Amino acid sequence: MNKPSGPDWNALLVKVGSHQDKAAFGALFSHFGPLLKGFLLKGGGVEPEQAEELVQETMIKVWRKAPSYAPTQAAASTWMYTIARNTRIDWLRKHAKKNHQTDELVAEDLFDENEESSPFTALIQTRNASNIREHLNSLPQEQLQVLTLMYFQGKSGQEVADELAIPLGTVKSRVRLALQKLKLKISPNGEEQVVYAS
Amino acid sequence: MINNHPNTQLLTDYATGGLSMAPLISITTHLQFCDQCREAVSGLNILGGELLTECDEAELSDDLLAQTLAMLDAPMATNTDAEAAAGTPKSSLCPDLASQLPKYLHRFLNSQELEWRSLSSTLSVAAISVGETDYELALHRIDAGGKAPVHDHKGTELTVVLKGSFSDEDGIYREGDFLMREPGDVHRPSATQDQACICLSVLSAPIKLTGIKQVLNPFMQFNPS
Repeated sequence: MNKPSGPDWNALLVKVGSHQDKAAFGALFSHFGPLLKGFLLKGGGVEPEQAEELVQETMIKVWRKAPSYAPTQAAASTWMYTIARNTRIDWLRKHAKKNHQTDELVAEDLFDENEESSPFTALIQTRNASNIREHLNSLPQEQLQVLTLMYFQGKSGQEVADELAIPLGTVKSRVRLALQKLKLKISPNGEEQVVYAS
Repeated sequence: MINNHPNTQLLTDYATGGLSMAPLISITTHLQFCDQCREAVSGLNILGGELLTECDEAELSDDLLAQTLAMLDAPMATNTDAEAAAGTPKSSLCPDLASQLPKYLHRFLNSQELEWRSLSSTLSVAAISVGETDYELALHRIDAGGKAPVHDHKGTELTVVLKGSFSDEDGIYREGDFLMREPGDVHRPSATQDQACICLSVLSAPIKLTGIKQVLNPFMQFNPS
């Protein structure tokens, strides 16, 4: 793994998991906490106090789930992202009054726990991350805007199309072009709804 | 080899948290079978991690860390029971069926008894409730050699083949295949002769039957809850 300069967040996260190391947790909190809050505020729809609640909830989950963290499968930042995303999904569901029946179902249960566990993942992870870092800042504004709305606000492609008042097809092609530029793998079916088996 | 996958938009919506629960479950179910899509999702999650890292920091309240540290030692009351319960299929769930479905799905099936309803001599359906009103999640079973009625779609239908295979006018779909049907698509699925076909399906709006027998819509005999 190519290590970014500064503390090795992956190693700190491992320490939290293996030794319930509160100093390591504090270091992670001080680094990722402000980023998480910034991430949530950038998405909008969340007050600063609520953003802090979500940061806290996310970090408590990080503490609880750290024993299952494997640095060979995901960088600390990726892992944090998925936990924050799931925390936000649950928070939004809790606050949307129409869905109050199955509160026992949480986002964590709905996603694939083994999402990252293919043997080549460590390699892919390293390659992907450096490609992303290299090309993210050179994405055209319109592509970055779509990705930003999707990631920071958790909006679906359709919701982004509605918000920007552009066709869904335009959103789809911006996403596709951005992913290509970042050299990320896209669906084997690409943009097609269905590629029929022959 | 899986030939039919969710499109890039669905995978992106999945990774960014933009999907409702039922479609989310259908994608995760496909991922149980599909390394290619799992790899794509993994890349999209890495992008999420990078966007997080690149984000402008927002200052936290001074005491937030101390508060959080104080909460770490509190016993975790929630989830442990649910996790224990999710470990093994409940006996009320047909054990044969459970062994045929991806482990991931067991937790949804455990929380409720599956009630199979016959819709025709060869087609049955069992609703799965995830507390959503905009989508219906269900298992469909077509007996070996059986046919589902011809139907088209008013809304989107997502289907993942869990067991066996079925075919329609356009092709044959095997375990793990993911299909998305849009409004206006008309098809008549039938299971292959050798075994029953079980699918997970997500419906976003009523399906209408085509042809004369439009009396009842067999896909809609359960209500979303």
